[in-house]
Amino acid sequence: MWFTESIFPVFLATGFTVGFGHCIGMCGPIVISISLQLKDRPAFFPQLFYNLGRTVTYAILGGIMGATASFTRFAADVGGLQKGILVFAGILIILMGAGMTGWLPAGRIFKNAPPLAGFAVSAYKRMIAANRAILFLPMGMLLGLLPCGPVYTAMIAAARTGMDAGTTFSGMLAGAGVMACFGLGTIPALLLLSQVSHVKWLKHREVIYKIGGILMILVGVYFTWKGITY
Amino acid sequence: MRTYFARIPQILIMCSMMMLIVCPFAICSNSAASGKNAQTECNIHKGTCSQKLGERTVALEISPRPVKAMADLTFRVTVSGPPLSGTPHIDLGMPGMEMGPNRVKMKKTGENTYTGNGVIVRCPSGKTTWRAAVTVPETGTAAFVFDVVY
Repeated sequence: MWFTESIFPVFLATGFTVGFGHCIGMCGPIVISISLQLKDRPAFFPQLFYNLGRTVTYAILGGIMGATASFTRFAADVGGLQKGILVFAGILIILMGAGMTGWLPAGRIFKNAPPLAGFAVSAYKRMIAANRAILFLPMGMLLGLLPCGPVYTAMIAAARTGMDAGTTFSGMLAGAGVMACFGLGTIPALLLLSQVSHVKWLKHREVIYKIGGILMILVGVYFTWKGITY
Repeated sequence: MRTYFARIPQILIMCSMMMLIVCPFAICSNSAASGKNAQTECNIHKGTCSQKLGERTVALEISPRPVKAMADLTFRVTVSGPPLSGTPHIDLGMPGMEMGPNRVKMKKTGENTYTGNGVIVRCPSGKTTWRAAVTVPETGTAAFVFDVVY
């Protein structure tokens, strides 16, 4: 049976170790930004849905890898899209940081924004304001497309699993399984980070919000620059 | 004085938060430093790189050249000396950065010559130094450090 193959626990364990060693550094700023943005509201379920969203995207990517049994074809096709997602993530972090500092309220920034940007910001503001944690699922799904070395490695494994599979369908299932295991493995590290960074229990946390906001702006600029030069 | 002591946990948490937020910078500078320490030992774009491994010499060739990330690559390993008892394999990774298991499985294509296909992925940090660890059964592992083209 496909789920008893050893590659699945291997990638679950890989996700777990990579989560603590790599994802905390590279995706940590996004997770911390969401936690800080939620301020006094509970962060566990929004963060859980955000991470599940990433995992859903990974599973879909794994399914494509397994079905096509090719990694490089995908890499050639979606490189531009990933570049855009990296820039988007950078801008999102800058906006969240600006909102945190209170220097640039989101409403003022986008007062004269073009209709599409206005729509995106309105959707984001509703998501942050709403108490429905599941709204973070699509955000996780979108940011699951961020370019990432370990994700690429898992995708190569998914494509190889597809090569070994008897049919396209079984290749798709196996590839999705590899990537889903990888994604699930990364969740504990990022969920733990999100809980540590949710400082609602601290007194005088406004100072943290202020400094955190400035650092988020810097990290957002870095992400955006990386996206442009990727 | 008491107020200052009471604020210590908050100050510590604030420092931790700052460290975590600036992690991407830290990781990139760390990987850059590691990459500098793990000096590139040969120019894989120009041809075969070789290393002594015990009594044997392990040679690695990657094609097509220049060696690019996110492209299908063919890895060829040639080992000198008596015939090997098993098939070597290559583990690809970045010095100083966890990238997950990326193993190139090899097939025998000649006397002590093995060939396999693999992909070196691109790291968004921009770092281009990679390591190919060639494990030869009952002999050991020879690590080749080289730069790839993005």
